[in-house]
Amino acid sequence: MFLIAELVVLLTTNLILTQALGTSTLFIAAGSKKNLLWTAITITVFTTIGSAAAYFINRLLPLSMGDFRLLFYVLAIGILYVLLLAAIYFADKKNFETTRKYIHVSAFNCAVMGTLFIVTGRAAIYSAVNSLSGFMIAGAEAGTGFILAAFILMAAFRRLCSKEVPAAFRGFPSMLVYLGIISMAVYALT
Amino acid sequence: MSNRKNSVLDGLLGDNTVFSGLMVISPVIVCGDTIANALAVIYAFSAITFLSVMINSFVPKKLPYTVKIIIYTLVSSLIYIPVRSAAVHFFPDVVERLGIYFMLLAVNSLIVVQSEAKFFKMKRGKMVLSLIFYILGFDAVMLITAFVRELLAYGTVYGRIVDANTLIGGLGMPFGGFILLGVFCGIYRSIRAAIRHENNGAGGDGDVSDS
Repeated sequence: MFLIAELVVLLTTNLILTQALGTSTLFIAAGSKKNLLWTAITITVFTTIGSAAAYFINRLLPLSMGDFRLLFYVLAIGILYVLLLAAIYFADKKNFETTRKYIHVSAFNCAVMGTLFIVTGRAAIYSAVNSLSGFMIAGAEAGTGFILAAFILMAAFRRLCSKEVPAAFRGFPSMLVYLGIISMAVYALT
Repeated sequence: MSNRKNSVLDGLLGDNTVFSGLMVISPVIVCGDTIANALAVIYAFSAITFLSVMINSFVPKKLPYTVKIIIYTLVSSLIYIPVRSAAVHFFPDVVERLGIYFMLLAVNSLIVVQSEAKFFKMKRGKMVLSLIFYILGFDAVMLITAFVRELLAYGTVYGRIVDANTLIGGLGMPFGGFILLGVFCGIYRSIRAAIRHENNGAGGDGDVSDS
């Protein structure tokens, strides 16, 4: 029952299926299963660590400077972007050329930036979320939701791009309709 | 694949920002349910994107890719601040309603990805024209989608009640946005393929895909 409840939470708070955040990134990465999976994992890293950074920014930033929040979030993700690239470079120089593309695709997109704002909004409502661990868990959940959406798309990807689909709707248009139908099913759960 | 040359008009028709590039689709899906929302998004997207790309075009090309992307995004985040202040004045209710989607326009794909991949490889004059048409491409899709969704979901046009017999409430929801955008995308590709086929004569490749 616990697993089912967690799955329902992941679906009903899903960035892509309920808020369409990161849909473009999902489609860019949808070209291959490997790309999709690694992009989703990298986005989870960004949302988790980025949420931790957002927690500290929120604490330090005066309320009167609310309009600058985006700027500081971007700065935090920018630093994380450089650090992750450096970490991958020193950890695995041989595959750096291959793996760095996942970082490039995952750094600045609506899924990552949107998560920081959504977690901040949630923390303002629920005090339980308003802690470092709360921010990081919420960020990890958002990333896991992206992985779940990636799996849902991967399940039908080949068929949506097959010749059985009329040429004009093959690929992206049918993926949008497919995600819309899944999103409608998820809406019924809320 | 078609071998035709790229045109500055591509962003509007041949390589539409939303339908072909699948860029900036989340505001269309979530916020594009009324014309009032659409106008606020169009204003913010156009202002932030145009000013950001123009300023970013002066960033030295020799800098590493990662550094350039971070600078581009920081510039657009700075431009967002006055744009939001003006939006609060002109669209006071809508800005609150759009919430995070308004801020996320500052990290849209046209600034983060296409600047480096497309615009900055062009000469400045052509870049400005091409950028304007890519922005117009988004604006047109946003407005058309919002008009259709508002009419069919709420039975209104820019907030005014019209005589609509059948309402489809789901079109106002994000899932309605996904489905309608998918259908529009398919129609767009059919029309584009028909036009290219006609231009190429009987020997056209008949390609409708973006891949």
